Amino acid sequence: MKFRFLLSALLLVPCALRAAADLPTLWAERAKSAVAVEYVTVTETERQPTISMGTVIDREGTIIMPSGSVDPRAATWQLKEFKIYLPGDPTGTPAEYLGQDAFTGWHFVRASEKIRAQLTPITAFAAKGASPVPALSDFVWGIGLRNKDEDFAPYLMQSYVALIQALPQKTAIAQQEVASPGLPAFNRDGVFLGLAQASFGQSFLQFGRGPRPVPVVLINVEESSAFMLADEIFPNLGRVPKNVSGRPLAWLGAYGLEPMDREVAKFLKLEAQSGAVVSEVLEGSPAEKAGLKDRDIILALGGKPLPQLKPDRVVVTYLEREVDRRAPGDTLALTVLRGGDRVELKVVLGEEPKILREAERKYFDRIGFTAREFVYGDAIDRHVKVADTTGVVALFVKPSSPAGVAGLRLDDWIKEIDGAEVKTFAAAIAKLGEIEKDLARAEFVLLVSRGGETAVLRVKLK
Amino acid sequence: MKSGFNQLLDAVVRIDVREIAFEAGSKRYAASIGSGVILSADGLVLTNAHVASSRAIELNVTLANQERVTAKLVGWDHWTDLALLRIDMAEVKRRSLKFAHADFGDSGKLYPGEVVFAVGTPYGLSRTVTRGIISNNNQYLEDLAGVNGYETGQFNTWLQTDAAINPGNSGGPLVTEDGKVIGISTRGFNGANNLGFAIPSTTAQRVVAGLVRDGAITRSYIGLVPGALQDLETFYSLALNTGVLVHSVEPGSPTAKAGLHGGDILLAIDGVKVVGRFPEELPGIQNLIASQPVGAPLKLTVKRGADTRDYTVVTEKLESRVGEEWALEKWGLSVRKISRAYAREKQLEDDSGVVVIGVQPGFPADVAGLGRGDIVMKINQQPVGSIEVIKAAQAAYEAKPAPTLFEVQRARRVSLYILKP
Repeated sequence: MKFRFLLSALLLVPCALRAAADLPTLWAERAKSAVAVEYVTVTETERQPTISMGTVIDREGTIIMPSGSVDPRAATWQLKEFKIYLPGDPTGTPAEYLGQDAFTGWHFVRASEKIRAQLTPITAFAAKGASPVPALSDFVWGIGLRNKDEDFAPYLMQSYVALIQALPQKTAIAQQEVASPGLPAFNRDGVFLGLAQASFGQSFLQFGRGPRPVPVVLINVEESSAFMLADEIFPNLGRVPKNVSGRPLAWLGAYGLEPMDREVAKFLKLEAQSGAVVSEVLEGSPAEKAGLKDRDIILALGGKPLPQLKPDRVVVTYLEREVDRRAPGDTLALTVLRGGDRVELKVVLGEEPKILREAERKYFDRIGFTAREFVYGDAIDRHVKVADTTGVVALFVKPSSPAGVAGLRLDDWIKEIDGAEVKTFAAAIAKLGEIEKDLARAEFVLLVSRGGETAVLRVKLK
Repeated sequence: MKSGFNQLLDAVVRIDVREIAFEAGSKRYAASIGSGVILSADGLVLTNAHVASSRAIELNVTLANQERVTAKLVGWDHWTDLALLRIDMAEVKRRSLKFAHADFGDSGKLYPGEVVFAVGTPYGLSRTVTRGIISNNNQYLEDLAGVNGYETGQFNTWLQTDAAINPGNSGGPLVTEDGKVIGISTRGFNGANNLGFAIPSTTAQRVVAGLVRDGAITRSYIGLVPGALQDLETFYSLALNTGVLVHSVEPGSPTAKAGLHGGDILLAIDGVKVVGRFPEELPGIQNLIASQPVGAPLKLTVKRGADTRDYTVVTEKLESRVGEEWALEKWGLSVRKISRAYAREKQLEDDSGVVVIGVQPGFPADVAGLGRGDIVMKINQQPVGSIEVIKAAQAAYEAKPAPTLFEVQRARRVSLYILKP
């Protein structure tokens, strides 16, 4: 017995050594998949630099960053001067922003050719066959990058898997932080396990001078313990946006999808499944055309019942992803509960109307505000018919400027300029441009709508 | 002091109120103290609506001779913050109680600097007289806090005085040296010194007459919010003191239906010229609209750009945004009926449903996840058209506790909840 044990141990040792090179070596190789991405958001009066982490996905130098890396309100032309920093290297090289993919939420950036040789795509560390799914208590490690003033120096984090959950994407949650959000995590053998997500909030009690501790939620923005598994990553690496706008974008037009808890599902006799309430069906949307009604409860997609996921909210993400993974023109079969009846609907998905970040905008420095085109979402927010909409929206108001002093506020809906209705964005821009140029002009008047009320604002230019 | 003033002192009363509140998922009782003034030999007492409202369940009046007697609410009008009580005259007769009554003076004749006295029960200190002057005889004040959530102040300007007005003075009279009631002490400015406000007697006399006659004041509503023109006249090519700015038009209101919108200039109402150059002039215009008969057509002469034309609006009855309230104690759920005004303000489709004004922690509504501001649209798939529907649903639940399905709207999002026994 003893001999046999020894023999098998001897046989095992060399191959174990080969697979599991020491962690510092694995780490040093895999740190080449991680980069820091810096860009500048140019606004009316400021330049706002942002730094985010990204992972290399192919030999062409394509890099993905988490969805939260870019402010969704910023127009793509405001995002400038993308630069990539290699770990530990203070010199940035210019990069190209490729846009955002609606389904994964990832932002894509491409590194310039001269540094591509220094990058290693994460696919180089993929498992031979199916991607491994870590088990509870498995050892995991990942990469973090320090801040810019420390030259984005790479460092190692390690932990053990504590929980695996469908959110609805399969996500592992480790005991401690394993990687910076956007950067990869690996198993002991150096096989890619997944990408770290934005970390979850943690509850703490803060003790101050008061008699009671104050509950606070803290979010570690630099390091995360949650990572989305490789199976959710690899199949989507080809979703590089065809253009910077991220279009085409599939559109259903069901607003305010609300999850139900298990008690409600049970009450509605939906034992093993979930559903989502449609709060409103949007005007002119594919959902409306297909006959979806306000307060219908979506039960199934393509005949497949909505799963019961935890937290309850996740079922909405599940539904939204089912729309986002499709293209305009695709058909989505919905089963809905209306009153006591089940109704089958076939929705031909449409192209999403112009969204906020695509809205045209123009800044008037002398008057002191930015006029933004009124888009579909504005009509929905303000409860007005899309066909009836005119005017522009105040996107930015410069403090102490004539517009600011007159009381113009962010999101005010400007309906008239100098007593005349402004029908289109172009008309508003023309009129404001005239006023801006006319240095003899002492004042002008805006009629704005704010929360259903109107106000007449007198803008004094002198 | 003149004898008139002594008679006035014998007409001022302390009012102890017990009222019901439905706020936190249960019925709760609260006690408060205010002041009032007796107006007639048959026991009418004038006070503030924020002292005695329809929520009052017990009213006790302490006369100047310290005898205590019960009273009943005749009617209240939160828009002017006035309420009228009647002392139980049978009890007065049985106990042979004596009291004096006060007379109104003319608030229209007051001048800034004129000496006035406030009489009342500040902080429960009975029969307190404070002295000051009229600081402003026509002060405009935006709605400050409302009357327990009810709207107030749109239809009157105020008498401002430096006579000390403290909590408990509310509802007591502001009088001239001869003891004539020229105002009802109503508000002080929190944190300020000597800034007190009283409802002028001209307003009070009108409201008293209406409450005696009908028990309530009926006003007309068209949904036009006037704004002072101040110095916008040049922009609108108007002569000074002509017309009033249409500041805003409430969505879905008669004025909105007639096609008016913010930025229009209202020149006349049924041929009567209106002038709203300064904020002090706005309550008069509001009052002119409110005093029209309900359901009657009204001709508004409006200038828009270079054109002037007439629009016809049909008046509606003015309603408060605050609807009927109730506490469903088994569920730990306090609700308020959605009024037409509330529905318009929140841009709801119609005035069906009830809004949650409070939940009791640990009770079924709270456990299920309902919260303040949620609108309950349906219970067990039945529309909640009135408070009675939800009362009946709770009665059924009480008789046979079973999971109950709530359809709730929160900021335009519709969710389902189960309230479990």
